[in-house]
Amino acid sequence: MQEAEHKGMKFTLDDDGYLVNMDDWNETIASALAEREGIGELTADKMAILKFMRDYYREYNFFPILRFVCKNVGQPRNCVTEKFIEPVLAWKIAGLPNPGDEVNAMGRWEPLGF
Amino acid sequence: MAKVTTPKPAELVTSIDLKPSGKEWMDTPAEIKPGTFCWGAKAKNLNIVEFPNARDWNPSEEDWKLPENWQEIFLTGMKNLLDKYRSFKVFMDICVRCGACADKCHFFIGSGDPKNMPVLRAELLRSVYRRYFTTSGKLLGKTAGGRELTIDVLKELWYYFYQCTECRRCSLFCPYGIDTAEITLMGRELMNLLGLNTDWISGPVANCYMKGNHLGLEPHAIMNSIEGMIDDIETITGIRINPSFNRKGAEILFVTPSGDLFADPGTFTCMGYLMLFHELGLDYTWSTYASEGGNFGFFTSNEMAKRLNSKIYAEAKRLGVKWIIGGECGHMWRVLTQYMDTWNGPADFLEVPVSPITGTRFDTSRSTKMIHITEFTADLIKNGKLKLDPSRNDDLIVTYHDSCNTSRGMGLLEEPRYIIENVCNHFHEMPENTIREQTFCCGSGTGLNASENMELRMRGGFPRANAVKFVKDRHGVNMLANICAIDRATLSASMDYWVPGVRVTGVHEMVANALVMKGEKERETNLRGEPLPGKEGN
Repeated sequence: MQEAEHKGMKFTLDDDGYLVNMDDWNETIASALAEREGIGELTADKMAILKFMRDYYREYNFFPILRFVCKNVGQPRNCVTEKFIEPVLAWKIAGLPNPGDEVNAMGRWEPLGF
Repeated sequence: MAKVTTPKPAELVTSIDLKPSGKEWMDTPAEIKPGTFCWGAKAKNLNIVEFPNARDWNPSEEDWKLPENWQEIFLTGMKNLLDKYRSFKVFMDICVRCGACADKCHFFIGSGDPKNMPVLRAELLRSVYRRYFTTSGKLLGKTAGGRELTIDVLKELWYYFYQCTECRRCSLFCPYGIDTAEITLMGRELMNLLGLNTDWISGPVANCYMKGNHLGLEPHAIMNSIEGMIDDIETITGIRINPSFNRKGAEILFVTPSGDLFADPGTFTCMGYLMLFHELGLDYTWSTYASEGGNFGFFTSNEMAKRLNSKIYAEAKRLGVKWIIGGECGHMWRVLTQYMDTWNGPADFLEVPVSPITGTRFDTSRSTKMIHITEFTADLIKNGKLKLDPSRNDDLIVTYHDSCNTSRGMGLLEEPRYIIENVCNHFHEMPENTIREQTFCCGSGTGLNASENMELRMRGGFPRANAVKFVKDRHGVNMLANICAIDRATLSASMDYWVPGVRVTGVHEMVANALVMKGEKERETNLRGEPLPGKEGN
């Protein structure tokens, strides 16, 4: 656990840098998380991806298929990897729960086993 | 956990040392190296399936948090298995250590670790068997090849039984026919008595037990995934498909690995199933309950595999279907054809599969009532029921990887090849000692496909990748076809690592690209959204 602060806003991250409470998330905290992960400014395109991921997770309790993320936010098929390098970084900056070791290192956005 | 780095391909190849070290194997404890093992099972996942000794643990730490009487539990478990499975006892007794299997294992070829020679991997357990279950071993100990079951021995057994993918290539060359995979199966059964499972296996097992599939997709997420695919299909073909879910009275139940519903390139294979079934007007249904064809329980224990598998027949019965089609999967197929019938059958409420399109009766499945989709599709092509335009796959120069379980395990050798030859124009086989019954494992089967295990996966994937490189260099191969969901995920990683430029596909993705559907618009792209050959300028 670690306490972080950005522009006067306090929030708690776990040891891997994931937001502990996904409801704490807002655009300011997203910018702070993006900075920590070495992702540049959160443009409107990037923010749209993050918000879609959050909405999807709330409804489906799962990760969206990447190309459907892009389709839903009206961006090119590889939008997530182009804008965030690794999909899991987008997940993290979206303030979503630490998916655990098995997905943490997934880079390729491979889920748990098949 | 710390992120594990994987050596570069050139470093990895040069690190393979095949010179004997000169040390006695019994006196050399296993060194559990980062990058070559999977994280330990979490308490929450073992609790869900009520497995013993559920706790969080880390294989790289000294203390594995075992119960005090772990040795007694192990040996009692081993006695039970020896009493229950005659094959296990025979395999423990009859090896003459001729070494025919030694260089047949992909993990040995890729690591040079002598304990990855199948003969020695089995010997790790045989030595315990001799010490505790044979008279000579009880009396003479090490002289008779026996050894005490110490904590170091237990750790070694764990490490190496999770460095075997149960691919059975070694068994093919064994003059006695010893099924080394079965020894690994037994070894893993014993590990599970002590809570020594891995996170990558126990997570999917818990998910599947709770929610019906390894990924833990809930019904509305499954439907949403498929709806997304249907949207893509409409964009590409102009045809709107309306599959049904959990529909009672359908003729056929379709079950596929859940990886097909989520991860590329499996999703493209899944679009292939949807398009094919639509074109045929097949009376079939998906299930959100029996929503997993694969079975990670099979990498855990016989009992766990049986519990997970039970949903398929149960759902077939509930829905009142006549028979079942299974999607493109490897180990799923072994479980379905060799175990399901006696675990959860007889499925006497089902009928022998008869293709409603061709009238072909699949007598080979008269007992299980379930056929593999490549059998179904090959039969359609053979009977001229599909209109195919293979030139749509002309950008692909294809080779075919036989999944260990479907080929060596089940003899499903011709059907996938027959389909491929009919849906694409450029197909080249890899060398004959690397395909069909002699196929090399992808290197990451049996639940070893965790990212923290990447070095081991790339070592194990080396022989297969090397054969792909051969046909890439010789024929310009750029696509590796297969009929297994684990392959689709793991070969993508090993191709990126060993043979960049070769991509991975399921067979039904290529079928659907070639399939000329009634009323379709002129296609501009393939299922991946890439321009079809000749349409690049559009």
